[in-house]
Amino acid sequence: MNSWKRQHPAAIFISFLSSLKEIVVSLIAVLIFGQTQAYTSLFYLIFFSAILFIALYSGFVSWWKFYYNLQEEELLIKKGLIFRKNRFIRKERIQSIDINANIIQRLFRLVELRIETAGGGSEPEFSLVALKREEAQRIKKQLLKKKTTPISHTMEHEQHIATFPHAEDESMFVPDEEHDSHNVTSQTIVSDDLIEEREEVEEQVDFKWELGTRRLILAALTSSGVGIAATFLAAVVSQLPQLLPEWLLDHVIGWFVHSSILLIASLLLVILFTAWLFTLVGTMLKYGYFILKKQGNDIHISRGVLEQRQLTLNAARITGVRLVQSPMRQLFNVVSIYVESAGGGTKDEDLSTILVPLCKRNEVKYILEQTVPEFAISPNYESLPKESLRRYMIRLAIPSLIVAAVTTYYLPYGWLAFVLPIVGASIGFAQFKTAGICHNEYMLCLKTRTIAKTEVYLPKKRIQDMSSSQHPLQKLDNLHTLSVSVLTTVLGKTFTMRHVSHEQMEKSYGWYSYEEMKRE
Amino acid sequence: MRPKPDQPLDLKTLKVWKITSAFGSVFYGLLPLIYWGLSRIWTFLPIWPTYALAVLAFLFALINIFIIQKLQWNRWRYKIYENEIELMYGVFILRRVIIPMIRVQHVDTKQGPLFRYYRLASVTISTAATVHEIPGLTLEKADMLRDHIAQLAREADPDE
Repeated sequence: MNSWKRQHPAAIFISFLSSLKEIVVSLIAVLIFGQTQAYTSLFYLIFFSAILFIALYSGFVSWWKFYYNLQEEELLIKKGLIFRKNRFIRKERIQSIDINANIIQRLFRLVELRIETAGGGSEPEFSLVALKREEAQRIKKQLLKKKTTPISHTMEHEQHIATFPHAEDESMFVPDEEHDSHNVTSQTIVSDDLIEEREEVEEQVDFKWELGTRRLILAALTSSGVGIAATFLAAVVSQLPQLLPEWLLDHVIGWFVHSSILLIASLLLVILFTAWLFTLVGTMLKYGYFILKKQGNDIHISRGVLEQRQLTLNAARITGVRLVQSPMRQLFNVVSIYVESAGGGTKDEDLSTILVPLCKRNEVKYILEQTVPEFAISPNYESLPKESLRRYMIRLAIPSLIVAAVTTYYLPYGWLAFVLPIVGASIGFAQFKTAGICHNEYMLCLKTRTIAKTEVYLPKKRIQDMSSSQHPLQKLDNLHTLSVSVLTTVLGKTFTMRHVSHEQMEKSYGWYSYEEMKRE
Repeated sequence: MRPKPDQPLDLKTLKVWKITSAFGSVFYGLLPLIYWGLSRIWTFLPIWPTYALAVLAFLFALINIFIIQKLQWNRWRYKIYENEIELMYGVFILRRVIIPMIRVQHVDTKQGPLFRYYRLASVTISTAATVHEIPGLTLEKADMLRDHIAQLAREADPDE
């Protein structure tokens, strides 16, 4: 067991194919943007076959020279032909473990294991791209396994503190029984035999939540990625003329010129509808088979149809919970729940992790109770003072008013743009209506809206600093902007509440301050 | 009502800031130069914006050096309590920041060449998520402050 191993040879093809994917992308870019005829096709042939060869060769070398070795307390990794690199990944340093399988890996019935460590500096992530599923599970289990004897447990606890200075705060939130039961579960995991790991995993689950088909469809229908997909499609469509032959182009343009505004509008509708279909399918593939499990202190999230992802998060490392509701989802009274955690975030989710893609608003408390109990609260939001309504409305109305004035001056029908300030002002009004702040003993809750409504729950223990700012216009009404920062993957994240009253600012400071101030 | 922090920065810091912003003002001077160069290439451009830009750049530099830096220095206050650090700064936008001692990960002092010449240093305070700076204290005071904060951060009880 304690020996150096290579990955599955399919790693060569996986890295080859992924570099091939990049080549295809650059090829398309060359075809679209480089319209010069200076290069002959022979040049292209040699150029790209050379690239292919290099990709294959480097894939081979990186497989050949990559060894890993799973030890009791750490994972050792050696790699590199010219620049040798050794890495030790210590168990206590691990923030999250991801098991992914994209299409290529599924072709070989393999998975990718991604390990994220705390404060890794330049390289917080590490991945083994081609492993048998059983092997990946074995490594994951070994790395997640807690020590069993009480002495070593406290030792580990101390190391835990050392790596993550105030991480042991969680003992405040988690009731003692919970802690004990957690120890019991980890003991049973250890004593259990490796062979029966699948069944054992099923047995040990404390809480399980599935997205289910109905919610998946609702999530897909209400997903707000349409705009992005539409822009992408528009970009592709705008590039089409370069690829089409000239006679067809003339034909098409002629047709466009003669066609009515109605036809163009319907074409636009078709583009939008296709974009919407794309996002629909995209969301379905992304969140299909979504399962959330809680096991001791670990939260397991698995999801995805084509690219399967399995993520494990430590509940104690969660620094904040975010509930997000787009207007469309608000209509159905459903929300998505994100968590901020030290490690484990993905780039496409704004460095957060999605805990629940979609659930009813009134289910939130129950789900949080089962997964991250300290966040299961029902905050009583205090709304902002009426002076801040003006600030919210003006902030959005003025810029759009300027835009509208300019367009009216220069464009026919430009006066239509005067709809914009009205829209801006009403969004501002909605933002003011939504905004709310609430502190209870150990939690700060902020409710804000840009377009979508967002509620954030931040424990006092996790807030790294609090600051307030006031610009001259705010000073007129004695309003302040309040911001707090928490630790997330890679960097900190700052949450901001605009235009709170002076009293609310003072109250927040009093709540957060660790110093006994003399009260007047 | 929470009392405002009351410790000012060192007076020599203002001098350094003035020098730095004077150097920075050279870049405003590039603007009329660029315009002048362009007007030589595209002769249809009128010449008067060169002078206008030059005057503006000069005025802007004067305001920046003698008024803004002064205001900024006047505004800057910090205070080290036993359990937290509070900073207050900003010319137009007034900011106040609280950093609890138990969140302080490490404290550094640092100096640039100008600061070294004037025997000044800044103290940077890092939490897990953010970095804050007290820009410009005498070297002795900065060192003392750094050690003091580090000491308090060590002593701060994480169970608090």
